[in-house]
Amino acid sequence: MTARTALQFHDGRGQGLSRAWAYAFTGAMILFSLFPVYWVLTVSLKSRRDGLASPPLWIFDPTTANYLKLWSHETFKYTFLNSVIITAIGVALSLAIAIPTAYAIVRMKIRGRNLVGVWLILAYMLPEFLFVIPMFSLYQWTGLYDTHVGLALMYQVHVLPLSIWLLSSFFREINPAIDEAARIEGASNWQILTRIYVPCTLPGMAATAVLNAIWIWNELAIALGLTFSRAETVTLGITSFRGYAALDWGAMTAASIIAIVPMLLFAVAAQKHIVKGLSLGAVKG
Amino acid sequence: MTSALRCLGSASAFWFVLPCLLVLAFTSVYPVGFGLAVSFTNWNWGNQFEFVGWANYANLLADAEFWSVMRNTVVFAASATAIEIALGFYLAVQVDRLAIRTDLIRAVIMLPLMVSGIVVALMSKVMFDPFLGIINHLIGVFGLGPSAFYGAAETAMASIVAVDVWWQTAFVFIIMLAGLRSLPAEPVEAARVEGASEFTIFWFIKLPMLRSLLITVVIIRAIDTLKVFDIVFGTTGGGPALATEVVQTFVYRTAYSYQQIGKAMATMILFSLLILVISLALQALQRRGEDAA
Repeated sequence: MTARTALQFHDGRGQGLSRAWAYAFTGAMILFSLFPVYWVLTVSLKSRRDGLASPPLWIFDPTTANYLKLWSHETFKYTFLNSVIITAIGVALSLAIAIPTAYAIVRMKIRGRNLVGVWLILAYMLPEFLFVIPMFSLYQWTGLYDTHVGLALMYQVHVLPLSIWLLSSFFREINPAIDEAARIEGASNWQILTRIYVPCTLPGMAATAVLNAIWIWNELAIALGLTFSRAETVTLGITSFRGYAALDWGAMTAASIIAIVPMLLFAVAAQKHIVKGLSLGAVKG
Repeated sequence: MTSALRCLGSASAFWFVLPCLLVLAFTSVYPVGFGLAVSFTNWNWGNQFEFVGWANYANLLADAEFWSVMRNTVVFAASATAIEIALGFYLAVQVDRLAIRTDLIRAVIMLPLMVSGIVVALMSKVMFDPFLGIINHLIGVFGLGPSAFYGAAETAMASIVAVDVWWQTAFVFIIMLAGLRSLPAEPVEAARVEGASEFTIFWFIKLPMLRSLLITVVIIRAIDTLKVFDIVFGTTGGGPALATEVVQTFVYRTAYSYQQIGKAMATMILFSLLILVISLALQALQRRGEDAA
């Protein structure tokens, strides 16, 4: 610390300039990240005539007409609701399955543990359509096609490996001496997991749930392959605006903003968790 | 049953991992196994289901369209990964030097990462519109353009790469910033006292310590960009002509528009092997560096 103070005292002009550059570059990147979202938001608040003005208008009379129109758009409302349900089922399922698995991997003797690990990595990295196309016929045959549960189940192929990675790294941080003590008191593995491990890693659980929710909410390829109308997700609802994009920017941009909002709330509420989850995922992966 | 139990360890461990094994078997072992079998048939979703041997693979390898799709995918993945790594890492280094709290900066820069691929695609269509889009208007101020962006074969791929860079650079930034923050302070302080420049400190002290993490991020971005689907599907749909057709959009079209399931699955199998080879090669690079260090 003293060395740093001494150096800052001798901070030359070169140092100051490069620090100024660091601020300028960061500022430019913030602008780069925000501008498209800002611009699309303004387009969604423009009347049809203002939206198609050339050159594009920076100042205009905002209107909520596009959002009101979307509110009366039955299909879009329906897909939004579907996504809420599918995300909830998918996240619940992933945690329910990943929690005992992660515990077993970290604290119990399992043979073939490495094989499970390899399979999890493979499932995580292989392309979606490798799984979706063969499932299409099985899903139609079993009646899982175009259902909320069916889609949430298929999403496990991606979120389960990620959850197990994350949760096992959180579980590893717990001192195994605690298990030993509990075991001497006569606690079973299940009791140790539910009474000690789960309560101790709630922030980690939240991080995992948030990352899974974001992934499921935003997913397109699997939903495209395994749903048709009843369980269509919000990403597919938005895709339906793609065709007449040139004609109806208002509805398309309003739908985009509405689909972003839940994720934005997540990002604000759980920034630290998301960063922790992403970093751990990368380090362990 | 008892032998299965013994094979897995204790009985209780078996029950802990059973749900995971069942779900993985259903959602990945079955589709990959069945998909591999289908790749040797001429299945059309219907009654046509005959064994054709290696015909799908032989036809693909002799098909110019397949190779151009492969080339597009690799060009996209290599350019997007390279730019995202360079930009995201550079940004992390700059933000790491700021003398203010950076939580809010990080939250703002992370925003694109929260947006779904299809929304990113549609947003970009509004912004890149050749006639009414804001981008042509903005570059016009600097005397550039107007560009057709998605409309012309020469610019379509570059536009999609730009969109992916906007979308995913924050991932590299977040991981590398966390990496920079976790570095031990002593070697850096010692070098500073010795009078080393910021550049020397970065290149000879910080970078070697971050090498392994950086390669991990490269692997994740490489796999993710090779699998690109949403932003191509949502913007050009593979066009104009075949200029931006990538493997996953090609397979989607082959399976769902042309009902050539055998061909689609053969493509997926070859492509999965490519992804495997690329990740194993990068992992070998990572391990060699660790042995040397």
